[in-house]
Amino acid sequence: MTRPHVLVGHWGVTGVTAAQGLALLAPVGVALLQGGALKAMMLIAAVVVVLIWELLFALLRNRRVSFHGLTVAVIVAVLSPALLPLWQLAIALSLGLVLGELVFGGRGFGFVAPATVTLSVLVVSFPQAGLAPVSAQIALATVPGALFLLYLGLMSWRVVVGVMLALLALQGLSLDPIAVATALSFGLVFLACDPVAAASTNPGRWLYGALTGLLIALFSAGNGAITTEALVFAALLSSIFAPLIDHLVVLADAARRRRRFG
Amino acid sequence: MVRFRISKGLKLPEKGIPRQRVDEHPAPRRAALVGADLFGMRAALEVSVGDVVAAGDIVFRDRRNPEITFAAPLSGQVSAIEFGPRRTLSALIIDGDGVRRDDPVESPAVAPSNRTDLRERLLQRGLWNAFRTRPFGIIPAPAARADAIVVNAVPSSALAPDPSVVIAVRPEAFRDGLASLTQLADGPVHLCRAPDAILCNPLPEGVEEAVFSGTSAVGLAGTQISRLCPAGPGRQVWSIGYQDVIAIGHLLRTGAYLAERIMSVVGPRAARPRLLRSVIGADLHAIASVEAGTDPTSSCTVISGDSLTGCEAQFLGRYDDQMTLADPVRPADRTRKLHTRLVQRSAITPTVQLERAMGIDVLPVPLMRALSVGDVDTAERLGCLELIEEDVAALSRLCTSGADYGRLLREVLDQLAVDAA
Repeated sequence: MTRPHVLVGHWGVTGVTAAQGLALLAPVGVALLQGGALKAMMLIAAVVVVLIWELLFALLRNRRVSFHGLTVAVIVAVLSPALLPLWQLAIALSLGLVLGELVFGGRGFGFVAPATVTLSVLVVSFPQAGLAPVSAQIALATVPGALFLLYLGLMSWRVVVGVMLALLALQGLSLDPIAVATALSFGLVFLACDPVAAASTNPGRWLYGALTGLLIALFSAGNGAITTEALVFAALLSSIFAPLIDHLVVLADAARRRRRFG
Repeated sequence: MVRFRISKGLKLPEKGIPRQRVDEHPAPRRAALVGADLFGMRAALEVSVGDVVAAGDIVFRDRRNPEITFAAPLSGQVSAIEFGPRRTLSALIIDGDGVRRDDPVESPAVAPSNRTDLRERLLQRGLWNAFRTRPFGIIPAPAARADAIVVNAVPSSALAPDPSVVIAVRPEAFRDGLASLTQLADGPVHLCRAPDAILCNPLPEGVEEAVFSGTSAVGLAGTQISRLCPAGPGRQVWSIGYQDVIAIGHLLRTGAYLAERIMSVVGPRAARPRLLRSVIGADLHAIASVEAGTDPTSSCTVISGDSLTGCEAQFLGRYDDQMTLADPVRPADRTRKLHTRLVQRSAITPTVQLERAMGIDVLPVPLMRALSVGDVDTAERLGCLELIEEDVAALSRLCTSGADYGRLLREVLDQLAVDAA
């Protein structure tokens, strides 16, 4: 009963969020060290906004308060630009959390990662702000968390390899691989590989990863480097397509099954 | 001979491996036929409370197909007949007279001359219910045809009885039973075994051997059928356990009904994990009170079956050969309260582990979604006709939603069976 996958089943959706929270500790610690008081303020503001919405929806739906939004707050705080006015953060976070998760009934019932929606809203509504680039230190700090999530099965290596293959096919080695890995790491792990947002079948995970990689290459074309914005939009679009990808996989599986029975 | 290595599926914990030697169980005092093994059949009773029955006497029939009969596992007195919702049979309990009878109670054996004769014999003597069909996992109709029969002699883990030890008790009966199955099936008869087990040498003509190794999913008939001869619309495959093959062989050799069931008593609470010679439907609570150790006050959870696919029960299930004495579900102590307060179990999280949970090639997450909303069409397209409850037990264990996919699958299968009829 101590094996990881059984633990995830035993601890339910709460366990999934707790594991993601643990994985986020190192990168957010590094971000706070680098960003100082401004980043800390932003994180606190994000947590407050998230908790207000969680509380409100818990009251409205007459359910127990959940804390899944905390991971959203942390991810958003890490990727938000240093000088972002807090009211802009509050608006984007409110829209992202409510439209990306809470209206569907909470964590696991939606089909996009609320952090991805929040960051997309931020970029679209307040384009002058942009998003914070991921530093090499944060990228490095992401690695242990990523391994932990892989171990628990909350992240699929197929998505990661799919993204890499698509990027490699489209851009070859024209970009510096170290720079690409740095730019991708945090967003890939916590936005694109979110188990709720990603495709939910193994063949689908390959396609989803490839689509994400293709969109990243498309959105960062002409920039000479992969930007956080490109990654966020790619993650948003591909997660919108993920249910369709899964549906196609199901159709293909059904066709294969029919052939087998003649 | 074909070999299959099953890499998908869970691996059950193998602590407390039983001593693989068959111990005599003092003549069981009580046994029951339970309603859960009737798969929605309604019982037309042939006995009433207080009647004296001998082992092998017919105690009830299926109301729709009266040819399908159910035999008493024990000689004694019918002590209770319990009913569940909508007057379905919940349990027919027989208190034994304390005498173990293995002698023929019927006329001497006459080998069945042909298929119809064999069919009649199995139906009349209460052995027809040893078969289960795929699709649907029900007892086959009296006139149904099997495109293949799969004999499951693969232990799901080291905690199950070793089939070679059990068969060694009555090797001729197993051989004859196996040979008779070839008369019954339209297609091949597959004998599934573990890699180093010697069950029957030489094999009767028409029986093909298949060797399964890998995770605990190898012990499920569903896994074996999906590799050997997938069942589906228009193709019915029957599965049967090796101990029931022995019972058929015994019936054909001696004319007597053999309700014997050699089962393993295992689990964290089993003081001495071992094999017991008991009967179908044996009273597990009585066995547990002896086997659970020296402390008579230590209660435990009694499970018929293994720790993954089994369920809590008082009597041994018709198709089980293992009882697990698990730790008791603790009363509401502090950690448990904290667990229920904290843990939200509602949504399906598509974790990667779910892909490796089942030994059968079915897309798990789409299936779980279809089952949880009762989408019969999608579930059928995804191949739910290949599955029964035990095949999806691993999904219930791993899923963050806390749903019981076995129960959901049964609802969908019932709906599909109605549509197919």
